[in-house]
Amino acid sequence: MTLPERVLLHYEVEQFLYAEAAMLDARRYRDWLALLAEDIHYWMPIRRTVMNADLDMEWTQPGEMAYFDDDRALLEIRVKKLEAGSAWSEDPPSRSRHFVSNVRILDVADDEITVEAAFHLYRSRLNTEESNWFGRRVDVLRRAGESFLIARRSLFLDQTLILSTNMSTIF
Amino acid sequence: MADGAQVARQWDRQSLLSLFDPATGELDRRVMSDEDIYQLELERIFARGWNFMCHESQLKDPGDYVINYIGEDQVIVVRDEDGQINVLLNTCRHRGNALCRAEQGRAKSFVCSYHGWNYALDGRLIGVPGQSTYYYKDFDRSRLGLAKARVENYLGFYFATLAEDAPSLHDYLGDVGRVSIGMIVAHGDVEVAPGIMKNVIDCNWKIAVDNLFDWYHVAYSHASADTAGFLDTAAILHPKNQMVMLGEYGHAIGGPAVPADLQARFDQMTDAERNEASRTQPPNTPRIRPKAATELMGTVGVRSHGHPNVFPNLWVTMSGLQVCLRLPRGPAKTELWWFTFLPKGAPEPLKRQIMWQANHIFGPAGLLEQDDGENWSQSTRASRGVASRKLGNHINMGIGHGQVSEGEAGERFVEGWVSEHGQRWLYRAWTEWIAATDWSDLKANHSAPPSGVI
Ligand code: FES
Ligand SMILES: [Fe+2]
Repeated sequence: MTLPERVLLHYEVEQFLYAEAAMLDARRYRDWLALLAEDIHYWMPIRRTVMNADLDMEWTQPGEMAYFDDDRALLEIRVKKLEAGSAWSEDPPSRSRHFVSNVRILDVADDEITVEAAFHLYRSRLNTEESNWFGRRVDVLRRAGESFLIARRSLFLDQTLILSTNMSTIF
Repeated sequence: MADGAQVARQWDRQSLLSLFDPATGELDRRVMSDEDIYQLELERIFARGWNFMCHESQLKDPGDYVINYIGEDQVIVVRDEDGQINVLLNTCRHRGNALCRAEQGRAKSFVCSYHGWNYALDGRLIGVPGQSTYYYKDFDRSRLGLAKARVENYLGFYFATLAEDAPSLHDYLGDVGRVSIGMIVAHGDVEVAPGIMKNVIDCNWKIAVDNLFDWYHVAYSHASADTAGFLDTAAILHPKNQMVMLGEYGHAIGGPAVPADLQARFDQMTDAERNEASRTQPPNTPRIRPKAATELMGTVGVRSHGHPNVFPNLWVTMSGLQVCLRLPRGPAKTELWWFTFLPKGAPEPLKRQIMWQANHIFGPAGLLEQDDGENWSQSTRASRGVASRKLGNHINMGIGHGQVSEGEAGERFVEGWVSEHGQRWLYRAWTEWIAATDWSDLKANHSAPPSGVI
């Protein structure tokens, strides 16, 4: 790819990620679902505090235990749950701010683009609860006309012990 | 911070026992928020009882370790060169530094990062930098090994206690504690799935324990998981076919049960027939346990598909495939640790299905557990107001309507509608634990599992 092509792609990808973040912060969950590929895998492994010598056991691997290990049907269930009128942990709803930065395109293959980003998800809940979730995110975006579909999202959280009552917010 | 003796002077035996009234089910809300009571709990419940440490599969080789807690005392659980599992207080005898700051790993020995004292996997102090120079000749390393907890296991589940005078783990568990572990082992030889979910909830640890017997909250608290099509809460509830088993020292199991006449039909079936029947049952029906389970769990226990609590804080889930530790971190903070078990010989698709279920039901992002934490933290919070803490909690469902039956092996259990017999048993035992000054007091003055109508 030429430099102008790369700059253009980078711009498109960033704008897509920002639009997605804005959608989640605005609680437009149905619109968000429309951004997901049919075969999406949405995954957050478990991280452990380990010594340098044991870094091979820092993360759980695919197919092991995970905080999120969702396919499209499960993500639809999460959204339906938020809409159910009885999702007590989100009523009153949390206020979230999704930040995406340090965006780098790692790979472009056919119609799939692998994008790495740093994320910060801030959640304010009730009057006094705050959650700050930081981490590294690797997304696979698939070209779909003028836009993209999210075909894979891997969330590598920086916390080991989750310092929150729950994770009822979509990352 | 008050120590136990000081606190115990302010709270005499009678005032501690009166924090819960089993006859009315009224619980003094101070048990959820009082700092002094919390300190007593650490001494008289956690340091005294047997605490779940690990399953043997977590520590395969010598040097493998995990961190766990006895109350707020952090411990290293480690397999040594002889294959023994040791539970060592994670505090250096020199200045108290934590020897181990990772939550799991492999070690040849534990070298303190402060001044380099070196401890063997069995806790012996084996190295002190500059010992002969700086300490001259008068240094007795043998006195300064790591403090060790007593360790025993039941069917590969390791527990530890800081009480020298505690009964054996086997006796402590009693029939109900053994049925609880039996629920897991009824799946055959198991191992812990890689990955333990851990999160912090701003609640008292007891409200989380109380909740595991609570089949009343399922339909309401978890309504959204039902509406979203994740789980048919009505189908898992079996509100009429509930059984509560009550065990010595506060262990209890509460939840759905197989009626005796249905179990009698299962008893006629071979294991192959049971497997086949389990496969074709409607979803959310508990699987029919194999023949061997009756031997392991007894004729009453084998019928239970409820939620056990091994007192004080180990929840075994009804599936027998997960346990959750509720670790106290102050009166209004609790860490939840989820362990998932896989039958060793199970085909890969079954293992994946077990982990899929475990990932999506419980844990902080679990579609059920998401909604529990906020209820628990808000319930805990209300116990702090001067007016609201005087109101008491009402744990009175089914009082006077529970006919206690006695099983062949002496099991005490109540069958019938959803009830709060399990919670009342928990709090009754809890008052007895914190009122007792030591094990001999507790042994002499705790309630035996009841009979008659409760
Ligand atoms: S505190 Fe451990 S060696 Fe000094
Ligand atoms: Fe619940």
